[in-house]
Amino acid sequence: MNQLVLWLPAISLVSALLTHLLGGLLGRGVVKISVSGGVLTVALAAYLVGLSLMGEDAHLHLLGSSWGGLLFDPLSVLMALVIASISLIVRIYSVRYMAEEAGYSRFFMLLDLMTAALLVMVAAGDLITLLISWYLVGVLLYFLLGHDMRSHSAYRYGFWTLITYRLGDLPLVLAAMLLFHTYGSWSLPVLFERISQNPNAVTYLDLPVTEVTGALVALAAFARSAQFLLHTWLPYTMEGPTPVSALMHAGIVNAGGFLINRFAPVYIYSGDVLHWIFIVGLVTAVIGSVLMLSQNDVKKSLGYSTMGQMGFMIMECGVGAFSLAIFHLIAHGLFKGTLFLSAGSIIGEARQDDGVPKDDLYTFIVERQSPSYKQPWLIMAAITLIVPVFVLLISHLAVAPDLFQKQGAIILLFFGWVTGAQLLFSTYHMSAQNPWRLVGLIVVSFIIVVVGYTLISHAFDQYLYPNPEFASQLYAAAGINHLSFDVLITITTFIIVTGWIRVYYTQRHLGHHDKSISNVWLNFYALISREFYINDLYTGLSRNVLAASSRLNVLLRWG
Amino acid sequence: MMEAVKLIIIGIFLPLFPLSIIFNVVFERLPYPALRGVVLLAWPLVGIYILHGVEEPLPDWVIIWAVSTAILYAFRLLAVRQMGLWIGFLATSAWSLLWIALNGGVSNDFPYLLALGFSIPLALLALLDRHIELRFGAAYTDLYGGLALTTPRLAGVLVFAVLAATATPVFPAFFLLLATIVNASPGVVVCLLLTWLLWAWASARLLQGLVVGPIVGEKIQDIGAGLSWLYAGMFLLLVVAGIYLTGGLL
Repeated sequence: MNQLVLWLPAISLVSALLTHLLGGLLGRGVVKISVSGGVLTVALAAYLVGLSLMGEDAHLHLLGSSWGGLLFDPLSVLMALVIASISLIVRIYSVRYMAEEAGYSRFFMLLDLMTAALLVMVAAGDLITLLISWYLVGVLLYFLLGHDMRSHSAYRYGFWTLITYRLGDLPLVLAAMLLFHTYGSWSLPVLFERISQNPNAVTYLDLPVTEVTGALVALAAFARSAQFLLHTWLPYTMEGPTPVSALMHAGIVNAGGFLINRFAPVYIYSGDVLHWIFIVGLVTAVIGSVLMLSQNDVKKSLGYSTMGQMGFMIMECGVGAFSLAIFHLIAHGLFKGTLFLSAGSIIGEARQDDGVPKDDLYTFIVERQSPSYKQPWLIMAAITLIVPVFVLLISHLAVAPDLFQKQGAIILLFFGWVTGAQLLFSTYHMSAQNPWRLVGLIVVSFIIVVVGYTLISHAFDQYLYPNPEFASQLYAAAGINHLSFDVLITITTFIIVTGWIRVYYTQRHLGHHDKSISNVWLNFYALISREFYINDLYTGLSRNVLAASSRLNVLLRWG
Repeated sequence: MMEAVKLIIIGIFLPLFPLSIIFNVVFERLPYPALRGVVLLAWPLVGIYILHGVEEPLPDWVIIWAVSTAILYAFRLLAVRQMGLWIGFLATSAWSLLWIALNGGVSNDFPYLLALGFSIPLALLALLDRHIELRFGAAYTDLYGGLALTTPRLAGVLVFAVLAATATPVFPAFFLLLATIVNASPGVVVCLLLTWLLWAWASARLLQGLVVGPIVGEKIQDIGAGLSWLYAGMFLLLVVAGIYLTGGLL
């Protein structure tokens, strides 16, 4: 029954074709075809996930002699279910949201085609099928983002996406070429088998194939998942319809994490590449979060939030927690999709009520409420630092007693601790009638999130990488020597704690500004508000390229 | 000596800069769209025919020359706004890659199909160029735009033709380019990928300059439904041919 995987993209393709052919006949009612196709695809994907959970073996279904195959395996069917579900939600949302727009049936046809391309991408069983779907996703996204054919700006920003995606396609083509030359097959299962038999093969200039391929695949993933320096397209593609933004942020942008997972057997032998992946992810997570905080446009802020989350997802791959990255991309996809689809309502509500908290003096005199009470900072600091560590350790030790033998797990726990502490730290600034109740609620929420996250991510690990030896090899490949690891953790802890002290000090001395420091912060803010001048740099660069092309044509008399 | 003369003649038909100027000048001066289409189909076939008569293996410098021509014309394509010229430049860039494909042993059984994989979408573009000129006076980007709303069928066909001509999957040019990449040396592969990237950039500029924008003022007649179905049939044929061709290519 697992050959039903071939029907996953086929349903969306048929739906796209029928939507186009019957658009004139059925009018706006034609979208029922698209929605029905979406329901069928979700049902089929859920059935295939069920089969996989019941222990059905992985299998490659080939349509051609050397390429054109789709894989039935845990990663492909799980991702297919995620994509089909998000795509269905987006289609249902679009039925009313896009009703007043021109090109209504074209929009649904493009959505169907995009779903088909994504489903082929996640189930591709060979490099050529993967390249084709990888490329087509970029092209289809370009036309979806530019759905409003009158809008030059939508196409301008859509072009940024297209060209970044094309840049990211090239390393993947190179990686495919190298793998084919070295191991003589396009088929992914065959390639992975041959890599495990001969992981030390070398290519041109005696470069190790697995390392070069790992780096090239990572580059392709970086472009698709908006990693730093390849991120500018993501926050600027808000000119497209909201459902497209939701699909993009909830599904398409996660392709980087999927791709690294698909090539997991390569990364076991890829040397330092995972360390570089970690660094790129870390830088992206930090810069994405900083830029998110400085935005005053809700959709652009969500765009940078996605960038930060993608950084975190790539970072998880960098520490060897491949299955966690998949869980992260699914969780992120669901909550970011929800945020985008509800962004319009939030903007509508903001027009009625600005949501700005009332002044303390106003609430005391006019509303006759007693002033809020804050706990002594020392108690709060103790809770802030100890509670997250306690919760994280207990929950993780319950599922993985060998926790401290995996550096990746320690790094993730460390980030969990920082995030949890930051969450509790922020409660110190909150005004509440009953602060202990507030702290209690936050701690309970934190426990639920951490325990849920731990259990689910452990289940994902069991499902996606059931061979414990393989999972250990991934963690081992991501490891560094113990001394460097301890030094790095100490330095990071020092930086973060210094930051907290600095924030506390600033809060305690509001109004007492040191002018020289203020100027530094002002300059830093200017740098952030210009988004580190990266967009300006790219714009200038592309103008110069076009001008050079024009000058060359004049020089050669257009011949 | 004879071989050198042959190579120069081939360099005109499988264009190598500056011999490529001859094709572009000829193509630019052809008055009839059908004739342009025929030239686009036949020109590289002549080059391949003569190339088959060359008995000695191609020297390495010819491959470097060919890939340089491909990248040069792809780069120049970025600034071209006139559609006729755009087709000529893209044809020059694409055909020069045939040197690499044929030298690398890509599909020695069907060498002419290689050229047609690139040429048929270009010939279709040449016909569309005429349709646009008849309706708008000139096929020029960023001059009027708005084809998608003014003449949606023409715009749709144009989009598919441009995608097919710039080696988008699953059109034949994509598989031809992929096969060429697989059979080339790493340095050449990087240049091929850069050429491909520049084609994508140029195609987006062409489409944005023609297709996007508000409706053009006066009522302009779109192409007929029958003609658009004919074009659709051709694209379908191209896709099927592309996928079929790969059996022998990869």
